[in-house]
Amino acid sequence: MDGTGAKGDPARARWGALLDVGPLPGRPGIRASGEITVSTRLSWENALTELSRRHTDVSYVELSEVRFVDVAGVTALAVTALNLPVGRVVVERPPPQLPRVLDLFWPSLHRIEVAPR
Amino acid sequence: MSTATTDGAFIHPALFYRSAAEYTDRTVAFVREGLAAGEPVAVAVPGPNLELIRAGLGTDARDVTFLDMTEAGRNPGRIIPGVLRAFADAHPRGRVRIIGEPVWAGRSAAEYPACAQHEALINAAFEGRPVTILCPYDETLLAADVLADALVTHPTVITAGSERVSERYDWRAVVARYNEPLARVPDADVLRFGPGQLPEARRFAVDRAASLGLTGRRLQDAELAVSELTTNSVVHGGGSGTVAVWAEAGQVVCEVRDGGRLTDPLAGRRPAERGQIGGRGLLLVHYVADLVRVHTTEEGTAVRFYLGVGGTLADSSPK
Repeated sequence: MDGTGAKGDPARARWGALLDVGPLPGRPGIRASGEITVSTRLSWENALTELSRRHTDVSYVELSEVRFVDVAGVTALAVTALNLPVGRVVVERPPPQLPRVLDLFWPSLHRIEVAPR
Repeated sequence: MSTATTDGAFIHPALFYRSAAEYTDRTVAFVREGLAAGEPVAVAVPGPNLELIRAGLGTDARDVTFLDMTEAGRNPGRIIPGVLRAFADAHPRGRVRIIGEPVWAGRSAAEYPACAQHEALINAAFEGRPVTILCPYDETLLAADVLADALVTHPTVITAGSERVSERYDWRAVVARYNEPLARVPDADVLRFGPGQLPEARRFAVDRAASLGLTGRRLQDAELAVSELTTNSVVHGGGSGTVAVWAEAGQVVCEVRDGGRLTDPLAGRRPAERGQIGGRGLLLVHYVADLVRVHTTEEGTAVRFYLGVGGTLADSSPK
């Protein structure tokens, strides 16, 4: 799902930061570790596209190992959730930037539920 | 005041006032005129003036949206997206009426150029829209050059109750004049970054900001803002830049310089549509910071943002 390397290989992207992203074992959704920034945007967006393709009712995004997510990274998640025909996305243990950016730009986005760290 | 109209033009008068009584009379009349015409009305002025208008309106205040401009508009750069367009866009049918007082006597020398540019850019942001924004200026407390600028940023001015056309109206001139060089600060910590060093640039800024006393959400906001600015440098600003951090009068200041040029004067001042993919980076910086200053030329761009250390006032942000 990563799109930039073999399964389990963190993608050393061209601009310095690392992101390892893949399917969530045992549940519908994805898990990620590292940083979601311009450097790793493609892996993140590909994973979200895959999440949206497989989505039925509730999808999970497990982010406890993500240290930082930028505005475009949160935007990609929010727009993915907005475009789901049904159901919602539960974001588990995200870094603090995620609820902050959601609150600033999507203050009442019911399709995303955040389970804090 | 002849501020009522039936066409779709943008109306943006400056109101020069000399006393609390005059302020109350004229602003309350302006609000009542809007309410009588069925227009949605918002008042965004400093706290004490908010109370004058609220008291003057009596029970009519129920139908008006009130915002303390010293909080909602602490950073002048977020007033257009976070206050004015937020209200106007929420009422898309018919004319909308707002009192906006972004310039008050306590504004600092660092803040004022951003205030003047904001007043100028309102004209670009609302051109052709059925919106009326009245901007009060305290003639007894504000400096002569501030009042002179108000004649350049407003097509009309109301003095002693009569409205006249401002012959000096030329908002682009004020945007250009306050595009002032930002002098490098000698004792700032500086890091040069290229495409491979975005995480390092971010961590450098966070470490320095923390060592200067920034904590909690304000420190997280600094990290987000630096990330957006350095990413812009790498993607749009020539691929590299410098980030500098220092302390100044109770605030932490972060500055990112690169070789790009900002050609859109409203960049970072348009509210984002919910489904919009890009274009939120500078807007985020405006939303979280207490002040944003920009200097942009053919040779490059410097964006400087200020975050108060330990202040609760600056913790506010628009929704």
